Amino acid sequence: MTALALWARRYGALIRNAWLIDLQYRAAIVLWVLWGVVEPAIALGIWWAIAGAGPVGGYSRADFARYFFALTLVNQLTLAWDSWYLDRWIREGELNFRLARPLHPMHEAIADNLAYKGRTGGTILVLWLLVAALWPTVRLAFDAERWALVGLAVALAAAMRFLISFTTGLLAFWTTRATAIMELHAGVSLFLAGRVAPLALLPPVVAGAAAFLWFPYMLAFPVDLLTGAVQSGGALARGFAGQIVWLLLWLLACRVAWRRGIRRYGAVGG
Amino acid sequence: MSARRAPRWLRVLGALGRVNAAEELQYRANFVASGLGTLFALGTALLTLLLFFRHTVRLGGWGFWEVVVLLGVFTSLSGVVEAVLRPGIGQLAEEVRSGELDLVLARPVDAQAFVSFRRLDLWRLTDVALGLVVAGYALVRLGRPPAPLAVVAFLVALASAGVVVYALWVALMSLAFWFVAVENISVLFDALFEGARYPVTAYPGALRVVFVYLVPIAWTTTVPAAALTGRLGPATALGAAGVGGLALVLARLLWRAALRQYTGGGG
Repeated sequence: MTALALWARRYGALIRNAWLIDLQYRAAIVLWVLWGVVEPAIALGIWWAIAGAGPVGGYSRADFARYFFALTLVNQLTLAWDSWYLDRWIREGELNFRLARPLHPMHEAIADNLAYKGRTGGTILVLWLLVAALWPTVRLAFDAERWALVGLAVALAAAMRFLISFTTGLLAFWTTRATAIMELHAGVSLFLAGRVAPLALLPPVVAGAAAFLWFPYMLAFPVDLLTGAVQSGGALARGFAGQIVWLLLWLLACRVAWRRGIRRYGAVGG
Repeated sequence: MSARRAPRWLRVLGALGRVNAAEELQYRANFVASGLGTLFALGTALLTLLLFFRHTVRLGGWGFWEVVVLLGVFTSLSGVVEAVLRPGIGQLAEEVRSGELDLVLARPVDAQAFVSFRRLDLWRLTDVALGLVVAGYALVRLGRPPAPLAVVAFLVALASAGVVVYALWVALMSLAFWFVAVENISVLFDALFEGARYPVTAYPGALRVVFVYLVPIAWTTTVPAAALTGRLGPATALGAAGVGGLALVLARLLWRAALRQYTGGGG
């Protein structure tokens, strides 16, 4: 109980700190949110035009609208900038004072994420509600059980994307192009995570291969869960199993990269 | 009257070019990295198009290879942005915030021209050539060689597109004088320019009107590509040149208003 209270106090302070820092940059954050909205909006515009002649692979215009609204929200709630921060921390030595603190630097990164996602995800949610008030197409049925599952899937996806971003950022211990690797990852995720189109519209071979990687579980699965595209118990179980397996594997990768990287960093910094 | 100014201008530009070239040639590994980055971006863009065209034969009335011509134009213009605009005028927002702009204003040259052309990321200029190669290849696959007049119209429209993109950057950076705490204002350009990846005819009506008249994104890629594929007559080039000229004048006016604001604030 006291340990729990201690962690609650630590996180309370870290999140408050991150929230206040973000507050100084709110105009800049609005622009980042806008950036996060534009990509799905353009994809929706294109699919909207294509689906004008009739449903595409089972997706009508309304389905596309719901898919990309859900994608925008889930993406904002799961996206992690940590590889850019870590790259800077490591290259410019800003990691040093963080290592001197009696708290693993990862906790600061997690708190930053919680504060940022609360702010930007909340903004997107309000925008969605405003649009839904005027445009019934993008409304979703309320179903408490489903939304609880969505919450869990989004939390798992957010944790996984955080670990991916953090681990990739740790590569800065070895290379100056860690952020370029993250860009490559983003390019692949355009297709395999469902950012350009629902996975159901990819060539079946590609979608099948993607199911063996982490990409669908970091975005497409929670999105499909939110829109109701995932219904059957089997698909639900496969989705959560994929999320948990890949989350554990990325956790392992992160631990290995951190241990080896820190040893190397110490050796260089002397 | 400009007989004495013009040569001096050329000398300043030439000196800036030499300094940049000498600097960039030290980092040849960047050439490989930048080339790979562009090829990857082009690859994902092509795969996205293939995905769209798996489910349709026309996008806003354009066939696959026509949209690839447009993608080539988009790549070329992105090359101009990355080679000249982002490293040059794109640094302005940060300099306004930190006050480093004083060092620019103190120089005995036109401030707008200097910040616009002070930096040149040579390697990214290859993107311009690559984009034109892609557009050319798509034209061959289209099997519809453009008439000489269409090529002239394309070149005029492409030059105007460059001017429009430049004017957008000047306008955005001028806004930074009023909203000082927005060091990532260039994201606004990136967001807008994302819209230029596809022909404007593919977008719903309201968005199309915005792209043609309000933020003239349509004139950057759709119009040059349409001129090249013969969708628009050569006369369109005149319209494009007009839009480019107008954008330049408006951006210049905004810039001057912004500079007055800076002097007032910094005084």
